[in-house]
Amino acid sequence: MQPFALNYARPAATLEATTPYVYDSGLQLNVLMDGRVAARDHALMRELGTTTSTAGSKTHFDD
Amino acid sequence: MTVLILTCEEDVTADMVVVHLNATGVPVVRLDPADLTDGVALSGEYVHGGFRGHLSAGGRLVGISGLRSIWVRRPGTPAARAPVPSDWLTEESSQALYGMLRGSDARWMNHPDAARRARHKPWQLRLAQRCGLPVPATIVTTFPQAAREFAERYPDLVVKPVSGAHPQDPPRAVPTSRVAPDTDFAAVAFGPTLLQRRVAKRADIRLTAVGETLLAARKATGADDEVDVRFAPSTSPWQPVDVPPRVAAAVRDYLRAAELAYGAFDFAEDGDGTWWFLECNQSGQFGFVEVETGQPIARSIAEWLSRPGPDPRPRANGADTAVS
Repeated sequence: MQPFALNYARPAATLEATTPYVYDSGLQLNVLMDGRVAARDHALMRELGTTTSTAGSKTHFDD
Repeated sequence: MTVLILTCEEDVTADMVVVHLNATGVPVVRLDPADLTDGVALSGEYVHGGFRGHLSAGGRLVGISGLRSIWVRRPGTPAARAPVPSDWLTEESSQALYGMLRGSDARWMNHPDAARRARHKPWQLRLAQRCGLPVPATIVTTFPQAAREFAERYPDLVVKPVSGAHPQDPPRAVPTSRVAPDTDFAAVAFGPTLLQRRVAKRADIRLTAVGETLLAARKATGADDEVDVRFAPSTSPWQPVDVPPRVAAAVRDYLRAAELAYGAFDFAEDGDGTWWFLECNQSGQFGFVEVETGQPIARSIAEWLSRPGPDPRPRANGADTAVS
Protein backbone atom coordinates (compact mmCIF):
# COMPACT_ATOMS: atom_id res chain seq x y z
CA MET A 1 0.00 0.00 0.00
CA GLN A 2 3.02 2.30 -0.24
CA PRO A 3 2.50 5.22 -2.64
CA PHE A 4 4.50 4.93 -5.84
CA ALA A 5 6.75 7.93 -5.20
CA LEU A 6 7.96 6.47 -1.90
CA ASN A 7 9.60 3.63 -3.80
CA TYR A 8 12.21 6.27 -4.63
CA ALA A 9 12.67 7.62 -1.12
CA ARG A 10 16.02 7.63 0.58
CA PRO A 11 17.03 8.44 4.15
CA ALA A 12 17.00 12.16 4.80
CA ALA A 13 20.44 13.67 5.14
CA THR A 14 21.17 14.99 8.57
CA LEU A 15 23.07 18.21 8.97
CA GLU A 16 25.82 17.14 11.32
CA ALA A 17 27.93 20.24 11.22
CA THR A 18 27.45 22.60 14.11
CA THR A 19 27.22 26.20 13.04
CA PRO A 20 30.06 28.35 14.38
CA TYR A 21 27.80 31.33 14.93
CA VAL A 22 25.09 32.38 17.33
CA TYR A 23 22.18 34.75 16.98
CA ASP A 24 22.64 38.19 18.48
CA SER A 25 19.21 39.61 19.20
CA GLY A 26 20.67 43.10 19.54
CA LEU A 27 22.14 43.05 16.07
CA GLN A 28 19.41 40.76 14.71
CA LEU A 29 22.25 38.89 13.02
CA ASN A 30 24.24 35.72 13.56
CA VAL A 31 27.78 36.43 14.70
CA LEU A 32 30.93 34.34 14.76
CA MET A 33 32.83 33.69 17.96
CA ASP A 34 35.22 36.53 17.13
CA GLY A 35 32.30 38.93 16.80
CA ARG A 36 32.23 39.16 13.02
CA VAL A 37 28.92 38.96 11.19
CA ALA A 38 28.62 35.44 9.76
CA ALA A 39 26.77 36.51 6.61
CA ARG A 40 29.73 38.65 5.52
CA ASP A 41 31.94 35.56 5.34
CA HIS A 42 30.85 34.04 2.03
CA ALA A 43 33.63 31.48 2.07
CA LEU A 44 32.35 30.17 5.37
CA MET A 45 28.77 30.18 4.12
CA ARG A 46 29.82 28.11 1.14
CA GLU A 47 31.74 25.70 3.34
CA LEU A 48 28.87 25.18 5.75
CA GLY A 49 26.20 24.89 3.10
CA THR A 50 23.73 26.62 5.36
CA THR A 51 22.32 28.65 2.52
CA THR A 52 21.95 25.70 0.20
CA SER A 53 18.86 24.28 -1.42
CA THR A 54 18.26 20.93 0.25
CA ALA A 55 15.56 18.42 -0.49
CA GLY A 56 14.00 16.87 2.55
CA SER A 57 13.64 20.06 4.49
CA LYS A 58 11.78 19.27 7.68
CA THR A 59 9.97 22.52 8.12
CA HIS A 60 9.59 24.14 4.75
CA PHE A 61 8.13 23.22 1.42
CA ASP A 62 10.33 25.54 -0.52
CA ASP A 63 13.97 24.85 -1.05
CA MET B 1 9.05 53.03 8.20
CA THR B 2 10.25 49.60 9.24
CA VAL B 3 10.90 46.33 7.44
CA LEU B 4 9.46 43.36 9.32
CA ILE B 5 11.22 40.04 8.76
CA LEU B 6 9.52 36.86 9.88
CA THR B 7 12.11 34.13 10.16
CA CYS B 8 13.96 31.85 12.53
CA GLU B 9 17.11 32.96 14.34
CA GLU B 10 19.42 30.52 12.55
CA ASP B 11 18.41 31.85 9.13
CA VAL B 12 21.79 33.16 8.08
CA THR B 13 20.48 33.75 4.57
CA ALA B 14 18.15 36.39 5.97
CA ASP B 15 21.21 37.91 7.61
CA MET B 16 22.59 38.62 4.14
CA VAL B 17 19.62 40.93 3.57
CA VAL B 18 19.68 42.46 7.05
CA VAL B 19 23.28 43.51 6.45
CA HIS B 20 22.22 45.52 3.41
CA LEU B 21 19.25 47.05 5.23
CA ASN B 22 21.52 48.09 8.09
CA ALA B 23 23.97 49.64 5.67
CA THR B 24 21.28 51.90 4.27
CA GLY B 25 19.82 52.77 7.64
CA VAL B 26 16.46 51.15 7.08
CA PRO B 27 14.89 50.11 10.40
CA VAL B 28 14.39 46.37 10.76
CA VAL B 29 12.45 44.26 13.21
CA ARG B 30 13.14 40.57 12.93
CA LEU B 31 11.10 38.03 14.81
CA ASP B 32 10.13 34.40 14.76
CA PRO B 33 6.41 33.73 15.29
CA ALA B 34 7.51 30.58 17.13
CA ASP B 35 8.56 32.88 19.98
CA LEU B 36 5.02 34.08 20.64
CA THR B 37 4.35 34.45 23.56
CA ASP B 38 7.80 34.09 25.07
CA GLY B 39 10.01 36.79 23.57
CA VAL B 40 7.56 38.09 21.00
CA ALA B 41 4.43 40.02 21.96
CA LEU B 42 1.61 41.68 20.08
CA SER B 43 -1.32 43.96 20.70
CA GLY B 44 -3.93 45.53 18.47
CA GLU B 45 -6.98 47.70 19.08
CA TYR B 46 -9.95 48.17 16.82
CA VAL B 47 -11.71 51.21 18.19
CA HIS B 48 -13.46 54.29 16.82
CA GLY B 49 -13.41 52.92 13.32
CA GLY B 50 -9.65 52.49 13.23
CA PHE B 51 -6.85 50.10 14.13
CA ARG B 52 -3.67 50.52 16.13
CA GLY B 53 -1.38 47.56 16.53
CA HIS B 54 2.11 46.89 17.83
CA LEU B 55 4.65 44.11 17.79
CA SER B 56 7.48 43.65 20.23
CA ALA B 57 10.57 41.48 19.88
CA GLY B 58 14.08 41.62 21.27
CA GLY B 59 13.39 44.88 23.06
CA ARG B 60 12.11 46.55 19.89
CA LEU B 61 8.62 47.91 19.49
CA VAL B 62 7.07 48.65 16.12
CA GLY B 63 3.66 49.90 15.14
CA ILE B 64 1.94 47.87 12.47
CA SER B 65 1.00 51.09 10.68
CA GLY B 66 4.72 51.87 10.59
CA LEU B 67 5.62 48.83 8.50
CA ARG B 68 6.74 49.48 4.95
CA SER B 69 7.17 45.82 4.04
CA ILE B 70 6.92 42.31 5.45
CA TRP B 71 9.34 39.59 4.38
CA VAL B 72 8.06 36.09 5.13
CA ARG B 73 11.30 34.14 4.99
CA ARG B 74 11.49 31.06 7.22
CA PRO B 75 9.03 31.73 10.06
CA GLY B 76 8.53 29.08 12.67
CA THR B 77 5.13 27.73 13.65
CA PRO B 78 3.46 30.39 15.79
CA ALA B 79 3.89 29.82 19.53
CA ALA B 80 5.81 26.60 18.95
CA ARG B 81 8.24 27.59 21.70
CA ALA B 82 5.63 28.92 24.11
CA PRO B 83 6.00 27.68 27.68
CA VAL B 84 2.93 25.49 27.22
CA PRO B 85 2.58 24.96 23.47
CA SER B 86 -0.52 23.43 21.93
CA ASP B 87 -2.25 23.24 18.58
CA TRP B 88 -4.91 25.53 19.92
CA LEU B 89 -2.38 28.16 21.03
CA THR B 90 -0.67 27.93 17.66
CA GLU B 91 -3.92 28.61 15.86
CA GLU B 92 -4.77 31.47 18.21
CA SER B 93 -1.32 33.00 17.74
CA SER B 94 -1.35 32.52 13.99
CA GLN B 95 -4.72 34.17 13.63
CA ALA B 96 -3.74 37.07 15.88
CA LEU B 97 -0.38 37.78 14.21
CA TYR B 98 -1.16 37.16 10.56
CA GLY B 99 -4.67 38.50 10.94
CA MET B 100 -3.38 41.84 12.15
CA LEU B 101 -0.58 41.96 9.59
CA ARG B 102 -3.02 41.22 6.78
CA GLY B 103 -4.78 44.43 7.70
CA SER B 104 -1.66 46.56 7.28
CA ASP B 105 -0.78 48.53 4.17
CA ALA B 106 2.71 47.05 4.07
CA ARG B 107 4.01 45.36 0.94
CA TRP B 108 4.54 41.62 1.27
CA MET B 109 7.28 39.35 0.04
CA ASN B 110 5.27 37.18 -0.33
CA HIS B 111 1.68 37.59 0.83
CA PRO B 112 0.62 34.43 2.73
CA ASP B 113 -2.38 33.85 0.48
CA ALA B 114 -0.30 34.11 -2.68
CA ALA B 115 2.41 31.97 -1.12
CA ARG B 116 -0.04 29.26 -0.14
CA ARG B 117 -1.46 29.05 -3.64
CA ALA B 118 1.94 29.23 -5.28
CA ARG B 119 3.15 26.13 -3.45
CA HIS B 120 0.81 23.90 -5.48
CA LYS B 121 3.02 22.37 -8.14
CA PRO B 122 0.21 21.33 -10.49
CA TRP B 123 -1.01 24.92 -10.36
CA GLN B 124 2.52 26.08 -11.13
CA LEU B 125 2.66 23.90 -14.23
CA ARG B 126 -0.61 25.25 -15.58
CA LEU B 127 0.35 28.86 -14.89
CA ALA B 128 3.72 28.31 -16.57
CA GLN B 129 1.95 26.94 -19.64
CA ARG B 130 -0.38 29.92 -19.73
CA CYS B 131 2.60 32.27 -19.52
CA GLY B 132 4.27 30.58 -22.47
CA LEU B 133 7.02 28.73 -20.63
CA PRO B 134 7.88 25.28 -22.03
CA VAL B 135 6.67 22.61 -19.58
CA PRO B 136 7.74 18.96 -19.95
CA ALA B 137 4.85 16.55 -20.51
CA THR B 138 3.50 15.74 -17.05
CA ILE B 139 0.80 13.58 -15.52
CA VAL B 140 -0.56 13.65 -11.96
CA THR B 141 -2.71 10.61 -11.39
CA THR B 142 -3.95 7.87 -9.10
CA PHE B 143 -4.85 5.63 -12.06
CA PRO B 144 -2.17 2.98 -12.67
CA GLN B 145 -3.44 2.47 -16.20
CA ALA B 146 -3.11 6.18 -16.96
CA ALA B 147 0.47 6.05 -15.69
CA ARG B 148 1.21 3.01 -17.89
CA GLU B 149 -0.21 4.69 -20.97
CA PHE B 150 1.73 7.86 -20.21
CA ALA B 151 4.91 5.78 -19.88
CA GLU B 152 4.23 4.24 -23.29
CA ARG B 153 3.99 7.70 -24.83
CA TYR B 154 6.95 9.07 -22.87
CA PRO B 155 9.23 6.14 -22.03
CA ASP B 156 11.90 8.27 -20.33
CA LEU B 157 10.21 9.53 -17.17
CA VAL B 158 11.01 10.96 -13.77
CA VAL B 159 8.88 10.86 -10.63
CA LYS B 160 8.78 13.59 -7.99
CA PRO B 161 6.54 14.51 -5.05
CA VAL B 162 3.44 16.43 -6.02
CA SER B 163 3.80 18.72 -3.01
CA GLY B 164 7.55 19.00 -2.88
CA ALA B 165 7.30 17.90 0.74
CA HIS B 166 9.08 14.90 2.15
CA PRO B 167 7.83 12.24 4.60
CA GLN B 168 8.89 12.71 8.20
CA ASP B 169 7.83 9.46 9.81
CA PRO B 170 10.58 8.35 9.47
CA PRO B 171 12.43 11.30 7.87
CA ARG B 172 13.07 10.54 4.22
CA ALA B 173 13.85 12.52 1.11
CA VAL B 174 12.11 11.88 -2.20
CA PRO B 175 14.35 13.32 -4.88
CA THR B 176 13.33 13.60 -8.49
CA SER B 177 14.18 10.12 -9.79
CA ARG B 178 14.24 8.31 -13.11
CA VAL B 179 11.60 5.65 -13.65
CA ALA B 180 12.76 2.46 -15.33
CA PRO B 181 10.86 1.47 -18.50
CA ASP B 182 9.63 -1.83 -17.05
CA THR B 183 8.34 -0.27 -13.83
CA ASP B 184 5.22 -1.64 -12.18
CA PHE B 185 2.80 1.28 -11.77
CA ALA B 186 0.30 -0.55 -9.52
CA ALA B 187 1.32 1.56 -6.49
CA VAL B 188 0.14 4.70 -8.29
CA ALA B 189 -3.28 3.76 -6.90
CA PHE B 190 -2.03 4.40 -3.35
CA GLY B 191 -1.19 8.08 -3.76
CA PRO B 192 -1.28 10.88 -6.32
CA THR B 193 1.81 10.43 -8.46
CA LEU B 194 3.56 13.04 -10.59
CA LEU B 195 5.36 11.63 -13.60
CA GLN B 196 7.18 13.90 -16.00
CA ARG B 197 9.07 13.45 -19.24
CA ARG B 198 12.75 13.62 -18.37
CA VAL B 199 14.51 16.53 -19.96
CA ALA B 200 17.91 15.45 -21.28
CA LYS B 201 19.52 18.47 -19.72
CA ARG B 202 22.92 19.94 -20.20
CA ALA B 203 22.50 22.39 -17.36
CA ASP B 204 20.31 23.38 -14.44
CA ILE B 205 19.09 26.95 -14.32
CA ARG B 206 18.10 28.80 -11.16
CA LEU B 207 16.40 32.08 -11.93
CA THR B 208 15.83 34.26 -8.89
CA ALA B 209 13.18 36.92 -9.38
CA VAL B 210 13.01 39.88 -7.01
CA GLY B 211 10.26 42.17 -8.16
CA GLU B 212 11.24 43.13 -11.70
CA THR B 213 14.85 42.08 -11.19
CA LEU B 214 15.77 38.72 -12.71
CA LEU B 215 19.06 37.04 -11.82
CA ALA B 216 19.79 33.70 -13.44
CA ALA B 217 22.55 31.22 -12.75
CA ARG B 218 23.57 28.13 -14.69
CA LYS B 219 25.19 24.93 -13.49
CA ALA B 220 26.45 22.53 -16.13
CA THR B 221 25.20 19.00 -15.66
CA GLY B 222 27.78 16.51 -14.47
CA ALA B 223 28.49 13.12 -15.99
CA ASP B 224 26.63 11.24 -13.27
CA ASP B 225 23.08 10.04 -13.66
CA GLU B 226 21.61 12.09 -10.83
CA VAL B 227 18.48 13.89 -12.01
CA ASP B 228 17.94 16.08 -8.96
CA VAL B 229 20.55 18.85 -8.78
CA ARG B 230 20.09 19.04 -5.02
CA PHE B 231 21.53 15.54 -4.68
CA ALA B 232 24.14 15.71 -7.42
CA PRO B 233 27.82 15.99 -6.51
CA SER B 234 28.87 19.61 -6.78
CA THR B 235 31.39 19.43 -9.60
CA SER B 236 30.68 22.49 -11.72
CA PRO B 237 29.95 25.87 -10.17
CA TRP B 238 26.91 28.07 -10.56
CA GLN B 239 27.69 30.84 -12.99
CA PRO B 240 25.70 33.92 -13.98
CA VAL B 241 23.80 33.61 -17.24
CA ASP B 242 21.68 36.02 -19.25
CA VAL B 243 17.93 35.46 -19.25
CA PRO B 244 16.52 35.02 -22.77
CA PRO B 245 14.06 37.87 -23.42
CA ARG B 246 11.12 35.51 -24.04
CA VAL B 247 11.79 33.71 -20.78
CA ALA B 248 12.09 37.00 -18.94
CA ALA B 249 8.74 38.19 -20.25
CA ALA B 250 7.07 34.89 -19.35
CA VAL B 251 8.57 34.87 -15.86
CA ARG B 252 7.32 38.39 -15.22
CA ASP B 253 3.87 37.34 -16.43
CA TYR B 254 4.02 34.38 -14.05
CA LEU B 255 4.94 36.56 -11.07
CA ARG B 256 2.18 39.04 -11.83
CA ALA B 257 -0.42 36.31 -12.20
CA ALA B 258 0.78 34.56 -9.05
CA GLU B 259 0.95 37.88 -7.16
CA LEU B 260 4.47 37.06 -6.04
CA ALA B 261 7.22 39.57 -5.29
CA TYR B 262 9.84 36.83 -5.08
CA GLY B 263 10.23 33.52 -6.83
CA ALA B 264 13.05 31.03 -7.37
CA PHE B 265 12.48 29.34 -10.72
CA ASP B 266 14.09 26.04 -11.63
CA PHE B 267 14.60 25.20 -15.29
CA ALA B 268 16.34 22.37 -17.12
CA GLU B 269 18.31 23.51 -20.16
CA ASP B 270 18.24 20.94 -22.96
CA GLY B 271 20.67 20.35 -25.80
CA ASP B 272 18.96 23.00 -27.93
CA GLY B 273 19.30 25.61 -25.23
CA THR B 274 15.60 25.58 -24.36
CA TRP B 275 14.79 26.32 -20.73
CA TRP B 276 12.11 23.85 -19.54
CA PHE B 277 10.10 25.04 -16.55
CA LEU B 278 10.27 22.64 -13.61
CA GLU B 279 8.96 24.66 -10.69
CA CYS B 280 8.87 28.00 -8.93
CA ASN B 281 9.62 28.02 -5.21
CA GLN B 282 8.03 31.12 -3.77
CA SER B 283 10.54 31.15 -0.90
CA GLY B 284 13.41 29.31 -2.53
CA GLN B 285 16.92 29.60 -1.16
CA PHE B 286 19.22 32.11 -2.80
CA GLY B 287 22.29 32.29 -0.61
CA PHE B 288 24.05 29.40 -2.31
CA VAL B 289 23.71 31.15 -5.67
CA GLU B 290 24.92 34.49 -4.37
CA VAL B 291 28.02 33.12 -2.66
CA GLU B 292 29.03 31.28 -5.83
CA THR B 293 28.13 33.85 -8.47
CA GLY B 294 28.41 37.13 -6.63
CA GLN B 295 25.01 38.10 -7.99
CA PRO B 296 23.41 40.83 -5.84
CA ILE B 297 20.33 38.89 -4.80
CA ALA B 298 20.36 39.90 -1.13
CA ARG B 299 20.88 43.53 -2.09
CA SER B 300 17.99 43.33 -4.56
CA ILE B 301 15.74 41.94 -1.86
CA ALA B 302 16.84 44.65 0.56
CA GLU B 303 16.12 47.32 -2.04
CA TRP B 304 12.67 45.89 -2.75
CA LEU B 305 11.86 45.75 0.95
CA SER B 306 13.16 49.30 1.46
CA ARG B 307 10.90 51.00 -1.01
CA PRO B 308 8.29 53.20 0.56
CA GLY B 309 5.00 51.51 1.18
CA PRO B 310 2.02 52.21 -1.03
CA ASP B 311 -0.17 55.19 -0.44
CA PRO B 312 -2.95 54.46 2.00
CA ARG B 313 -5.83 52.85 0.20
CA PRO B 314 -8.98 54.90 -0.38
CA ARG B 315 -11.33 54.58 2.53
CA ALA B 316 -15.05 54.28 2.10
CA ASN B 317 -15.73 55.46 5.61
CA GLY B 318 -12.78 57.64 6.42
CA ALA B 319 -11.29 55.12 8.82
CA ASP B 320 -7.51 55.21 9.11
CA THR B 321 -6.88 51.60 8.23
CA ALA B 322 -8.67 49.31 5.84
CA VAL B 323 -8.89 45.57 6.31
CA SER B 324 -8.55 43.28 3.33
